[in-house]
Amino acid sequence: MSHLLDRLNFLQSKELEQFANGHGQVTRENRDWEDTYRNRWRHDKVVRSTHGVNCTGSCSWKIYVKSGIVTWETQQTDYPRTRPDLPNHEPRGCARGASYSWYLYSANRIKNPLVRGRLLKMWREMRKTKAPVAAWSAIQNDPILRAEYTRTRGKGGFVRASWDEATEIAAAANAYTAKTYGPDRVFGFSPIPAMSMVSYAAGSRYLSLLGGTCMSFYDWYCDLPPASPQTWGEQTDVPESADWYNAGFLLIWGSNVPQTRTPDAHFYTEARYRGTKSAVISPDYSEASKFGDIWLNPKQGTDSALAMAMGHVILREFHLDRQAAYFEDYARRYSDMPMLVALDEKDGHHIPGKLLRASDLAEGLGETNNPDWKTVAVGEKDGEMIVPNGSVGFRWGEEGKWNLEERAGETEAKLRLSQILDEHHDDVVGVDFPYFGGAATANFVKCEHPEVLTRNVPVKRVTLADGREAMVATVFDLLCANYGLDRGLGGEWVSADYGDDLPYTPAWAEKITGVSADKIIAVAREFATNAEKTQGKSMVILGAGLNHWYHMDMNYRGIINLLVMCGCVGQSGGGWSHYVGQEKLRPQTGWLPLAFALDWNRPPRHMNSTSAFYAHTDQWRYETLGAGEILSPTAPEGDWDVSLIDYNIRAERMGWLPSAPQLKTNPLEVAKAAKAAGMEPKDYVAQKLKSGELQMSCEDPDAPENWMRNLYVWRSNLLGSSGKGHEYFLRHLLGTDSGVLGKDLGEEGGAKPVEAVWHDEAPEGKLDLLVCIDFRMSTTAVYADVVLPTASWYEKNDLNTSDMHPFIHPLQAAVDPAYESKSDWEIFKAIAKKFQEVAPEVLGVETDIVQVPILHDTAGELAQPDVRDWKKGECDLIPGKTAPNYVAVERDYTALYDRFVALGPLLDKLGNGGKGIGWDTRHEVEELRKLNGVWQDGPAEGCAKILSDIDATEVILMLAPETNGEVAVKAWEALEKPTGREHKHLAEGQEHTKIRFRDVAAQPRKIISSPTWSGIESEEVCYNAGYTNVHELIPWRTLTGRQQLYQDHLWMRAFGEGFVQYRPPVDLKTVTQEVLDGDEKHVVLNFITPHQKWGIHSTYSDNLLMLTLNRGGPVVWLSETDAQAAGIEDNDWVEAYNVNGALTARAVVSQRMKEGTVFMYHAQEKIVNTPGSEKTGLRGGIHNSVTRATLKPTHMIGGYAQQSYGFNYYGTVGSNRDEFVIVRKMKKIDWLDQPAKQEAAE
Amino acid sequence: MEDLSMDRTLKALSLLLSYPTVELQQAMPEIGGVLAAEPRLTAAARRALRPLVEDLGQGDVYDLEERYVLLFDRTRSLSLNLFEHVHGESRDRGGAMVDLLETYRAGGFEPATSELPDHLPVLLEFLATRPQAEAREMLQDAAHILSAVGERLVTRESPYAAVFAALVQLSGAQADDAAVAEILAQPETDPNDLEAIDKIWEETEVTFGPDPNAGCPQVRDMLAQMDRPNPRPAEPAAQ
Repeated sequence: MSHLLDRLNFLQSKELEQFANGHGQVTRENRDWEDTYRNRWRHDKVVRSTHGVNCTGSCSWKIYVKSGIVTWETQQTDYPRTRPDLPNHEPRGCARGASYSWYLYSANRIKNPLVRGRLLKMWREMRKTKAPVAAWSAIQNDPILRAEYTRTRGKGGFVRASWDEATEIAAAANAYTAKTYGPDRVFGFSPIPAMSMVSYAAGSRYLSLLGGTCMSFYDWYCDLPPASPQTWGEQTDVPESADWYNAGFLLIWGSNVPQTRTPDAHFYTEARYRGTKSAVISPDYSEASKFGDIWLNPKQGTDSALAMAMGHVILREFHLDRQAAYFEDYARRYSDMPMLVALDEKDGHHIPGKLLRASDLAEGLGETNNPDWKTVAVGEKDGEMIVPNGSVGFRWGEEGKWNLEERAGETEAKLRLSQILDEHHDDVVGVDFPYFGGAATANFVKCEHPEVLTRNVPVKRVTLADGREAMVATVFDLLCANYGLDRGLGGEWVSADYGDDLPYTPAWAEKITGVSADKIIAVAREFATNAEKTQGKSMVILGAGLNHWYHMDMNYRGIINLLVMCGCVGQSGGGWSHYVGQEKLRPQTGWLPLAFALDWNRPPRHMNSTSAFYAHTDQWRYETLGAGEILSPTAPEGDWDVSLIDYNIRAERMGWLPSAPQLKTNPLEVAKAAKAAGMEPKDYVAQKLKSGELQMSCEDPDAPENWMRNLYVWRSNLLGSSGKGHEYFLRHLLGTDSGVLGKDLGEEGGAKPVEAVWHDEAPEGKLDLLVCIDFRMSTTAVYADVVLPTASWYEKNDLNTSDMHPFIHPLQAAVDPAYESKSDWEIFKAIAKKFQEVAPEVLGVETDIVQVPILHDTAGELAQPDVRDWKKGECDLIPGKTAPNYVAVERDYTALYDRFVALGPLLDKLGNGGKGIGWDTRHEVEELRKLNGVWQDGPAEGCAKILSDIDATEVILMLAPETNGEVAVKAWEALEKPTGREHKHLAEGQEHTKIRFRDVAAQPRKIISSPTWSGIESEEVCYNAGYTNVHELIPWRTLTGRQQLYQDHLWMRAFGEGFVQYRPPVDLKTVTQEVLDGDEKHVVLNFITPHQKWGIHSTYSDNLLMLTLNRGGPVVWLSETDAQAAGIEDNDWVEAYNVNGALTARAVVSQRMKEGTVFMYHAQEKIVNTPGSEKTGLRGGIHNSVTRATLKPTHMIGGYAQQSYGFNYYGTVGSNRDEFVIVRKMKKIDWLDQPAKQEAAE
Repeated sequence: MEDLSMDRTLKALSLLLSYPTVELQQAMPEIGGVLAAEPRLTAAARRALRPLVEDLGQGDVYDLEERYVLLFDRTRSLSLNLFEHVHGESRDRGGAMVDLLETYRAGGFEPATSELPDHLPVLLEFLATRPQAEAREMLQDAAHILSAVGERLVTRESPYAAVFAALVQLSGAQADDAAVAEILAQPETDPNDLEAIDKIWEETEVTFGPDPNAGCPQVRDMLAQMDRPNPRPAEPAAQ
C-alpha cells in the first residue's frame, strides 16, 4: 500500500509535538531572532553599588556589567524587610541615580591627570636642575612666574601629566608649605563622609598625618541647624524616614519631600493611607504642597512668627487654660522648663540672666564637684531648692548621677514647673523681653510695637552665697511671658485673645506672615491634640527652606519649642526631622581613627569652614552688617559694637572656635623654640602670646604668612556649588577675573574692624596650589591648577550610610576605573608615597604644635562659666581654659606613607570612643591584624595593614559599635558609669554580630544600637532621635542635661536669643544705588536657592538627560506679577545682580511662585549654557555669584557645655537667604564664544 | 615587532590623533613621509595634512598639548570617542562598546590601553591590521561621524580637520548627508568659554496645533471626518 497519498511531499508540519495537554507545542521555526533580545540584556555580572553624591538617599543599586563595561543599572530590591504593619523601604532610587551610567563614559569625564600648561612647563624647566621642593620654592618665590599660572585660573590651558609628575607637584608644594609657613597652611575640603567614607578618609588621613587642616562642611553648607546643638547638645539626630509612617500628624515645613527626598517620599504617601493628617508650610506651591490636607503659605523668611503664634496657641490651650497631663509630665522631666533663671537688673529693669547654679547658693547646696555647672530647680513637694540629677556638672568628675531620673542624688525630686500659684511666688515683677519685629526692612512687614516689651512674671526671692538677694523665675514662667500669654498677672504686652494685635498672637502673625489666624490656630490645635492623644506622635519635617536664613535659629527653635511643649521629641512617630546635608555617618567612631589618623597622632587639625572662607576669601572686607543692627536692646553692658570678624577673632583667641592657620609663626618653628627655651609647648605659647611675640593668624588674615596656601578639594564642587561669595573666592583666593561689583570697606569708608589688621591693598591670589580631584570637569576643576581623575561610584570600594534608613551598604568596583583614573584612596596613597619621597629634602621627624579649641563632649567643655578675654586683661591666659589648648604632636615626615597604610599604635594605647565615652579596643585591633595582615618590617612593623580600600572599610566596620556588636556592648557599658543605669541590654542580643565588607556586599545590613546615637535599632520602634534620652533616661548633652529652650550664655542674651523670638531677615544692603542701572525696567527680589529636581547639587546638572527634563541650563523662577513689573516673559534671558556679582539665566514665570521672591535652584553649573553677563562682562556666574557669607556672633560661642566647639557640630554657618537681587531682562545675549586671544598673546 | 603587513597610513593617522608628546614630535618626519606617499589620498588631501604634520613636528609641545586637551578632551562635540556622537549619554553606549570590543577580540587583539574601545586612534590602529577592504567597510560605517567632526574642525580652522577628510577619503564613501546633518544638528560646545552653545536653548515653543485655540489636531481631524457625509460602500473590485 502506497503512502504517497497520505504523505506530504512538499510541506512539513510546523509542529513537532505537543505538551501540557496541547497548550504547548514544539515547533521547528527558527528562533535565532530571540537572541537579539537575549543579548540586549545579557550581562556578565551584577554588582551592588550606589551613588556617592551628596544626597541622603543612600540607595542600593544593581550595576550590570558586560565585558568589563557598565551597561546599565537598576534599583536593588533586597533591603531587609521591615516588621509587620510597616511598609518596606524599597524601591529606593530616583531618575538622577538611574541616569548615572552615562557619567562613566561621558565626554565630560576627566581622563588623565591634568596640570595647567604654564605651570607644568615651568615645573619641568625647574626640575631639570632642582630637587622637587627647591623647584616649587623657585616658582613661588618668583612673583612673575607665580602670577603666570594663578592669573589664568579658569581660562583653560590644561595639559596631560603623568600620575608621577602630578603627585610630585602636589607633594612638593605641601612639603614646601609645611617647611616655609607651617603644615596648617595646607587645607583640604571634602564634604559628607557618609556617602563614601573611605574616599573622604583617604584625603583627611593624608592631611592629618601631614598636620594639614581638614575643613568642615555641614556648617559651611548652612545645613547645620545650630539650634540642635543649642537645644540638645547634639549635632543633628533625626528619625529614619520609615518613622514618618508612625506619625499621627505630619507638619512639612520648608521641606520639599517629593522633590528632594524622592526615595523616601513613599512613606509620606503611605502614612496618609494610614490616616495621618498632614499640613504643608511653604511660601511657594511646592511639590509637597499638594500632599497637604492644608497648605499654609507664609511670606518667606517669617516662619518664626508663624511658629511663635502656634506656640502661643499650644501654651494657652494645653498648658495654661488646661494642663494636658502628658505634656506637663514631659516638660517637667525632659525640658529645662522647671529650671530657675536669675533675673538681672539693668537700669531698674529686670532681664532674664543666667540659669541659677548650685554655686550661686550657700555652700553650693552641698555640691562640691562642678557646682557652677549644676542647675537648680524648686521641688514640687515642699518648695525647697534642689540640684536635680543630669546637668552637665554631673557628667564630668563624678559617676552615677548623670541621668534623668526624678532625683537629686539619693532623694526623689519632682520639680516645680511654674510658680504661678500665690503661695509659690514671692512677687510678680516686670521682665524685659526684646522685640525685633520693628527691625524689618521695607521688604517685610514692619511692626509698630516697641523694641522692649515688659511682661509680668512670678518670681521667688533667694539669698545667694554672697549674701545678695536675687529674684528667680522658672524657665516655664519666663517662656509663657516671652510668648505674650496673659496669665492673670496684669501688666502689658500679654494677651488672652487670639485676635489682639500683640506679639505673638495668631492675629499678629497673620499680619506678618500673611497666613490667616484661623489656619494658624487650627494647625497648632490639631498638632497638639494629636500629640496629646498619641503621646507625642506629631512630627515636623523641616529643611533648607528654614535653615538657610541668617536667623535660622529662630525658625528652628520656634518649631522645636512646639515639639517639646507637646512631648514629641524621643517618641516614635514624633519629633523633628531635619533632612538637609546631614547624612548620618553611622559607624562614626570606627571611622574617626581612620579618617583623622588618630591611630598615629592626636589631636587632628580641624577648622570651621565658614569662618575660614570668610577670612581667607576676604569677604569680611566687604561686610555691611554691623553687630549693632542685630544686638538686643536688652543687651548687658559690653563692648558689642565691633565688626563680625572681630567677634570671630575674639572667639578664636578665647578657645571657642578653631583657627587655621593658627599662629603667624610656623608651628614647627614654635616647637623648636619652645624646646630651646626648655619649656612645655603650651606654656611657651601662652607666654609668647601674652607678650605679643607670637600672634594668632586670625588677627591678620591678609598677611602673606597667614594665607591659605594649598587647597585640596575632593568629592566636592566647592566653587561651583557651595562657595558662598563665589566672586570673592575668584578675586582674593584664586587671583583671577571676578565679577565683584561692590567696593570694600576701605574704598567705601566704612567702619573697619578693631581686632583684624586692615591692609589698604587686598591680596589677590593667596593660594599657591589648588588641587581638584573629581571625575568630571566641574567648575572647581576648571579653576584648579592640578586636576586628578578619580574613580566614579561604580569603580571603587567604599561604604555608604544615611539618616533616612538604618542600613549600611557598599559602593563597589563593578569595573576598573576608566581611562587613567584611580580611587580617592589610591590617589592619596600615591600623594603620600610621593610626599615621603620628596619631604626629606626639607623635613624629617618634626614636632608640631597643634592649637585645639575647647571641645564639646570633653571635660574641658566646663571651661568658661563667664566670658572673659585674656587679651583685654580680664583673666589670665590658661591654655584649654581661657584660650585654645596647645598640644605637641610628633610627625615623621619620612614615614608618612608607611603610616598611611598601617593602623597605628595609639588605638592599643589610648583606646577608642566618641561623644564623651571611651573604651578599650585592643581586641578589635588584634582582629584587624589577623584580617588585613601585618607589616613585617619598616616604621609600621607589627601594625595591621590598610593597603586597599577594602582594608580601610574593614577598619571602620571592626572598630565601630554600629557594625561590631562586641564593641557596642563595650560602648554601652562605658556609658553606664556616668549615668549609673543599665544600658547594655540595648546591644547584648547582638554581641556576636559582626558586619564585614563582604556581608554588606551581599545585602544591606541594619546597624546595631550604639550610644553614639540617641535612637535605637529595634524590632518594636523605628529609629528616632532622642529615644534613649526619654526611654533610657540618658541626659541630653546640654548644660541642664535636658532639652534647653532657654539659652543663658552671655552672647545669647546680648543678641536677644535667650528665648526664641521672631526676627525678620537682616538687611545685607547689597542692592545699592550705585549698582543699579539707571531707570531700566527691573524688579528687586529676595534670592532663594532651594534644592533642585534635575540634579543632586551640581552633580547630574550637566547631564543631558536631566538638562532635557529641565530647560537645558540655568533658570530662575519668578511670579507672574514680578515678571510683568520687570517686563519679563517666560523663557527670556534675565540677569540677576547685586554688589556681590551677577548671574545670567532663563526666566521661568510661574503661578507657583510667591510674589517678592526669585528662586534659583542651587548649583546649576556655569559650564553649561551660560552666556556672558552684561554687568560684569564675564561668564554669567553661578547662584553664589550674588551671595556673600555673613557670620552670626551667637554661633561662635564656645567653652560652654553644649555650646562648645565640635567639627561640623557648632560654629558659624554660611547662610544666604537674606540676599536681594535686581532682576532685569537682558538686552544682548553674548555667548563669549571667541577664544581668549588677547590673553594668549600676552 | 608589529606585523609588517600593517597599513601604515591608517597607523599614521591614528598617531596624528594621539596626544602630542615629544616622542610623537620626533616621529613626525617619518609619519609625514608615509602620508605624503599615500596614493589612496588625493594630492589635495595630502597637501591639507601638511600643516598639521608641521605643527606637530615643530610646535611647542605644551601649546600642542593644551590645544589637544581643549579640542578632544574637553570639547564634547569633538570627542574622539565615536559613540559619544551617536549614542551620547544613552544606555546603548555600553552595549555598542561591548560589540566593538568583541570585534577587536575576534580580530585577535586585546586592548592594552586606558582608552575606551570607541576611541578613534584605537579603532584606526585596529583597522591598520585588517585587510584593506574590511578596514574601508568599517570606516564607511563611521563616515558620517568622521565627516561631522571634520566639519566642526573646519569651522574652527583647525589643522586636525585634514585627518578627518583623509579618513573619509580612505573609506571611499560619500557620507550619508542626512546622517551627518543629524550629528551636526547636535549642539556645538566650546569649552574655552566654559560653554555649550545656543542651539540647545532654542527649544521649540509648545503650541497645540497651528491654531492654539483649535484644540488637539487629532481630535480636530476626527471631528472633521465626522462632519463629512457617510461614504458609500466600496465598489466591488473590477473583475
